[in-house]
Parts: sequence; C-alpha cells; structure tokens
Amino acid sequence: MRDLLIIVKKELTELLRDKKTIINSIVLPTLLIPILMFGGFKVSKMIQESNQQKTIKIGLLNAPEDFKQLVAKDTLHEVTIFEENQDFKSLINSGDIQTALVFSSDWSTKMDSLETSEVLVHRNGTKDNINSRVSKLLDAYSDKLKTNRIATLNIPVEKMNPMVQTFVEVSEQKELIGKRIGGFIPYIFILTMWGGCLLAAIDLVTGEKERKTIETTLSLPVSKFSVLMGKAIVASILGFVPALLNLIGLIVGLNFIEGIPDNFKMALTEMLNPQSIVMILLLLIPFSLFLSGLIIALVAGATSFKEAQSKASPIIILIIIPLVMALMPGIEFTWSTVFIPVLNIGLGVKEIMAGTVNIAMYIAMLVSLIAFAVAAIYFSYKKFSDESAILS
Amino acid sequence: MIRIENLTKSFTSKTGKGLKKETVTVNAVNSVSFECKPGRIFSLLGPNGAGKTTTLRMIAGIIKPTSGTAVVDNIAIAKGNNEVKKRIGFLTGSTGLYERLNPDETLDFIGKIYQLPIKEYQERKEYLFEKLGINEFRKKRLGQMSTGMKQKVSIARTLIHDPEVLIFDEPTSGLDVITADSIIDLIRESKDNNKTVIFSSHIMSEVDLLCDDLAIISKGSIIYNDSFETFKKEMTAPNLTQEFINRVKQA
Repeated sequence: MRDLLIIVKKELTELLRDKKTIINSIVLPTLLIPILMFGGFKVSKMIQESNQQKTIKIGLLNAPEDFKQLVAKDTLHEVTIFEENQDFKSLINSGDIQTALVFSSDWSTKMDSLETSEVLVHRNGTKDNINSRVSKLLDAYSDKLKTNRIATLNIPVEKMNPMVQTFVEVSEQKELIGKRIGGFIPYIFILTMWGGCLLAAIDLVTGEKERKTIETTLSLPVSKFSVLMGKAIVASILGFVPALLNLIGLIVGLNFIEGIPDNFKMALTEMLNPQSIVMILLLLIPFSLFLSGLIIALVAGATSFKEAQSKASPIIILIIIPLVMALMPGIEFTWSTVFIPVLNIGLGVKEIMAGTVNIAMYIAMLVSLIAFAVAAIYFSYKKFSDESAILS
Repeated sequence: MIRIENLTKSFTSKTGKGLKKETVTVNAVNSVSFECKPGRIFSLLGPNGAGKTTTLRMIAGIIKPTSGTAVVDNIAIAKGNNEVKKRIGFLTGSTGLYERLNPDETLDFIGKIYQLPIKEYQERKEYLFEKLGINEFRKKRLGQMSTGMKQKVSIARTLIHDPEVLIFDEPTSGLDVITADSIIDLIRESKDNNKTVIFSSHIMSEVDLLCDDLAIISKGSIIYNDSFETFKKEMTAPNLTQEFINRVKQA
C-alpha cells in the first residue's frame, strides 16, 4: 500500500507537469459543457434572429389579390409577379427567386364555389428558413379562407371544432426532462473520461517505454502489481477528474449562463441534486478503472505513442455504440441491460436524473462495474507481466 | 557477491502469416556461469546482441531466468526478487530518468521506495550531489538537461541506497572526459568500499583501468572467464581491442 501511494504520487506529479494532460484533462472538460450550453443557446438564438431578418424572394403566379396583400404586409418579402408559367426550377437554382407559389388558373372560381383548389409550391427542401416561413404564410391564408367560408355558410365556430384536446402531464418535469436529456449527459462525460484515461495510460506505459524509464521503474524493489496498479489508478484519476469537471461545469453553467429557458434550468438543477451526483460519481469510479485497465492491456506491447493510439482507439466504437443505443427510444434500464457496460451507465444515469432509478438494479450495476474493473486490471497485469512486451 | 550458475533465458515468439503461425524459441542467454567477488570489479564484455543486457537484467531481477540460478549477496533471485533489488544498483543504457522530475524529486522518490532512513538518505544525497557536481542543477527538470548532466543523476540514483552490488552497463557512454573521469572515480570508490561491481563497456581503456576479473560473452554463451591479469598474460594481439575481436571471432 505504501509503495502504491509513492508510485501514484510520482506518476501524478509527472503527468500533471505535462501541458497536454492539463489541457485535455482539466481545462477542456471544465469549459466544455459551459461552452456547449452557452454557445448552443447563443448560436441558435442568433440564427433564429438572423433568419427572421432575411429577405425571401417569392415568385407568384395566378395569386389572388388578398394573398398578394398578405405577402406584401411583410416588408422582408421580395415579390415577383409572373404573368405566365416559367421554368421555376431554373429560376430558383439561379437565385432569381427562392420559392414560387403557383395558384391554379381557376382559383377564384373554385373559391367562390367553395371547392378545393391547388397551390403548387416550388421549393428547395434544404432551405428550412424559407420553407417554414412560406408554410406559415400559406397556413395563415388557408385559415383566413376557412374563417370566411364558415362565416359565409353561417355555421357557428364551435360546430367546426367538435373536439378540444387538453393534456394533463402526470410525470414530474424532472422525470420528463431527465429521460429526454439524461442520455446526453453520460455521452459527454464518458467520452471525456475515455480521452483522459487514454492519454494518461499511453503516457504512463508506452511513454515510459519511449522515455526509457520503464526499466528503471522495474529495477526498483516494488512488485510489478504495485507498479501496474499505480499506473491504472493514476490513469483512472485522469479519466475520472474530467468527468467530475464536466459535471461541475454543467452546474456552474446552469447558474451563471443567461438565456437558458427557466423550466429547463429548474428541472436540470433539481436533477443534479447531491444524491444523484453521488450516485453518478460512484458509477464512474469503477468504470474509469475498467477503462484504464483495458487501455493498459491494449497498449502494453506498443513501442510508440502512435502504435499505442492505433491499438486503443478502435475501442471508442465499443463505447459509442452502447451510448447511442442508450439514447434510442424503447431501450430501457432493465435486468437484461443492467450488466452491459457503458449501456448500463447511459441508461442508469437517465433513470438517476429522472429520479426513477430502482435501487436494487443500481446496486447490481455498480457491482457489475466493479467486477469488470477487477477483470480489466487482472488482464492488464497479465499483459504488463509479459517481459518481451513490456521491455520491447 | 554474485554467483551465477547455468543461467539460461529463452524467448518465445510467433512467426508466420495468417493461420500458419510457428512458435520459435531462441536462447538469448545459454547456460552462463560466473562469480563476482566483493572488492573486485568484474567486466562483462561482449558485442551487441551477445546476451549481456539479458544477463544483467536477470541478475537485477527485472526478468526471470528460464533456468539456472543467480545468488546476489546470499539471496537467490528466485526466492527474494525485491530483497535482491534492494541490494543492487542497476545502471544501463535503458534505465532512463523521469524527465518531468528534477534530480531532488527523482532521488526523493527512489529514497522512499528503498525506505531509506531520512537522515541517512539526506546525507547520502548531499554527498553524491557534491561529488558528482549536481548541486547547480538539482532543481532543473531532467528533460531540460544535457546527456552528461542526466548521466550524473543516473549514477546518483544508482548509488543512493548504498547497494552491496553495482551493475554498470556502459556508464560513461557519450560523456565528456571530465564527467567520465568522475564516474570512473566513483566506481573505484565502490570497489574500495568492498562492493561487488559488474562493469560493462566498449571502451577498452576503461576496462584496462578498472577491471579485476573478466568474462566475454558471445552468442549467449561465456567464451572466456578468468582474472584480467591472466587475460593480459594470454594476449596474442597487440592491444585489448584486437584481442577481444579475435576471441569473439574465434568463438
């Protein structure tokens, strides 16, 4: 134990003197979520505002007078009236107009006889801003026509609305938001945890080989297991700390960043209570040890940083797939998913944040993660004890 | 004292492509025996790839022998790996230093691992720093140092626990004559203090200067093992280098 602590202290001192480690394991994780939150809200607001300010070039053919007036009300619309049919596709592609609304030639007759007529909308499906604004315009015009017809037919409005839907939300806001966004939280901190463990484990094993210090360490009167455990613990600390900083960044971001919708802010603050934070962090301790053990085992035989990275990097796929699965609808935290690493964290964190986690299942998940961590450490010890791999 | 008997180390590797893989076993060291006595400097010479480093690594407890025994300061390496390591100071071309630490921190780490009493450790460290001229750069990170500075710290690292057995594999390689001389001086001092010293070098003038007993290893086997005095008497070539080359070629 004494030797282990000495090794952990020395490895931590060395790693924390490396600028790469400081940036990747401390600076970036702390700033990541506040930047994503602040940037996300700011950018979407800016895009929304700028879209509303953009002029739309609309081409009209056979448009009735009242529709032309409706279009003209918005000064941002640049209207071109066509007298006869055109190659609207070419006009849209060349940028002369951005959309064209072609009313049927017998529009007025059909409207007067209370029949249905057609408006042909020529549009580029990728231009969301233009299409949504034109749709709103057409919906408003359609509503106006409907109201006029109801008035003409002298039908009371309530007769046209036989049913009104009113929703009564039985879940708490916390549960609703927790289930919806809870899956994204582990997505972020598991990925930063992976990054932290990967860099640290490669530096501590392959880096030592490159710097020719592994033999110095192995010549000391400490067991190989202590040396390996020291490295695994430090790598897992360097994986755990970024995840912790992610959470701190999220809490700080919620309190200091303006522009976050109030209901979202309140629900998230309620979800991140001390109990759920402790439950999440408890899961991350064995998981970071599991990741470190796995990476050390994979890179033990590598002779260069590049080789180590190419050996360990494909594992990211095994992390991303379960995380994506955890975000999919229909995949729930059950006794069959509770023992699948990564997937169980993704689903479990969602339940913890929603406040609906089953304690027995939570304990089973924690125990399974500890078992996986022990297995990964054993596997890495076997690899680390391979003389030809470690001294190559 | 070090006593080696029939020490053998085999490495197994897999060759071939696809499903057709063959397991090949190579003896890097083949039934090597020799004895190094306290108060004497034992030179282990050999060309590159002869099995020198593998033999030294087995003695230092870094790798396990496939067969044979090695007894270091009356402890068999098979029985007390860490106890053997406590008695050895091991310095080779592949025992680098932790580049993000400074000399003080490096020796503090080593001192703690060897569980040295604080007072004894401090005195020993100051003595070595003074003797090797490390004081002026003791707070500088090792990664920012020259080869000579690093080697001085490596020597201090090897001697800090005052080991009974010292293994030096090319300790003066790449150093200027002044630094090399101070290291040679320390090796001599270790001999005077009745330590068992294994010294390996490609610089024959240093071997001539320090060696008491000599073994030559080639292709994993010992081809010569006797006192240096006897070796010189038996020489047929005009100088040590030529004699060494002739013996390796004849083996």
